[in-house]
Amino acid sequence: MDARFNRTLRFAADACIGVLSPSTYNSATREVVLRQIYFTAWQVLPGFAAFAAVASFLIIQIVGNTARNFGLYEYALELVVRLLVLEILPLTTALFVALRTGAAINTEVALMAIHRELTALRQLGIDPLKLELIPRVIGGTVSVMALTSVSVVIALALAHVQVVDFQPWNVAGGEFGLVIGRVLGPVELATLFVKTLAFGIAVTTIPIAAGLGAGRELFRAPVAVMQGMVRTFFALMLIECVAVAVLYA
Amino acid sequence: MTSAPSVERPDAIPASAPSRSRVVTVADDAARQRLIDAYPEAALVSATLPLRANLDVLENIAVVPRFRRNLDAETALQLAWYLLDAAGHAGCAHVRDPDLTHEQRFVAKLLRAVIGDPPLILIDRPAMMLPDSPYPVVVQSVLARLESRLTQCWIVDYAWNAPLYPHPESRTSD
Repeated sequence: MDARFNRTLRFAADACIGVLSPSTYNSATREVVLRQIYFTAWQVLPGFAAFAAVASFLIIQIVGNTARNFGLYEYALELVVRLLVLEILPLTTALFVALRTGAAINTEVALMAIHRELTALRQLGIDPLKLELIPRVIGGTVSVMALTSVSVVIALALAHVQVVDFQPWNVAGGEFGLVIGRVLGPVELATLFVKTLAFGIAVTTIPIAAGLGAGRELFRAPVAVMQGMVRTFFALMLIECVAVAVLYA
Repeated sequence: MTSAPSVERPDAIPASAPSRSRVVTVADDAARQRLIDAYPEAALVSATLPLRANLDVLENIAVVPRFRRNLDAETALQLAWYLLDAAGHAGCAHVRDPDLTHEQRFVAKLLRAVIGDPPLILIDRPAMMLPDSPYPVVVQSVLARLESRLTQCWIVDYAWNAPLYPHPESRTSD
């Protein structure tokens, strides 16, 4: 098996063990987790919420109009929820975090490895895995899940407004909850949760593992970032395909 | 013929070498590496071990007790501030690595080691960290200021630099 794939898997396993280990959590690591969540989720929340609203609005309009053209408007709500909540929004959120935070983490870790900052921490009796890397995995994963939740709530609110409130003759208000409940059953919700968790782990562990593999030469930093981002993209697509297969196969 | 511009020495030469520090001279790089490897419990202050680039000086020092002793942020920062003040460099507390002078960077690295209370601190080739100053004087004056916080501190330098140190009684050869 490819050594880079092995390194990524080994780091992901180490990170998962570290996340569950109480010794990981101290005053310093908690601050890194909070900073990561701040920079990944909180700082971008207004812009991301606006993007989620615009994208959801457009997709709801397109799906609604297409369904109406085929005389299937009563299915528009179900289509919208399936398409937006279960597929498009979680994937788009993961891609957004990968492009913004994953690339930044990848670059930072590569530079830390090249400049021997990780070695310096180790020499001072500080485990860089616990201080610098695992908190980024935790913060990034929590951020992906939080941003996905925000975008899903926005999409559902817009779906209610566009499909129910503006055209009440098609879907009665009381039916909205029934449709949501039918589409988002226990299996769908569990799949959505696991998929989002996997997205969060992928957009942090893969860039970190790629950064750690940068070696000692500065010219390897851009290569490490490029490799990390490409692998992250393929990992996200693979997770999406598996989730689709679980739900619809 | 023009005379060389006078260079102001950064600090007065201490009257005597700090009693808990000594200069250990080594013949070559292999001997230096052997010496460092022989003391794995020592905290190393070296040009090859940089500060964390995204933390300022105070945070770089405070992160050690925060991680190792789970000290809360406020207490750790106060402790770091006290050390930085004792070393005479409180002015660079909120400066990050790229904006530090060589001396400030050296002090930050030294205090990062001191705050961990190691049994021994090895200052590895100080000339590499202080290329723009009479480094033996600078190092020994900073160590004199931190005397009460040091257990043992060895300045590891090449034998040919030994005459540069102002206190011959503090020199030993490896």
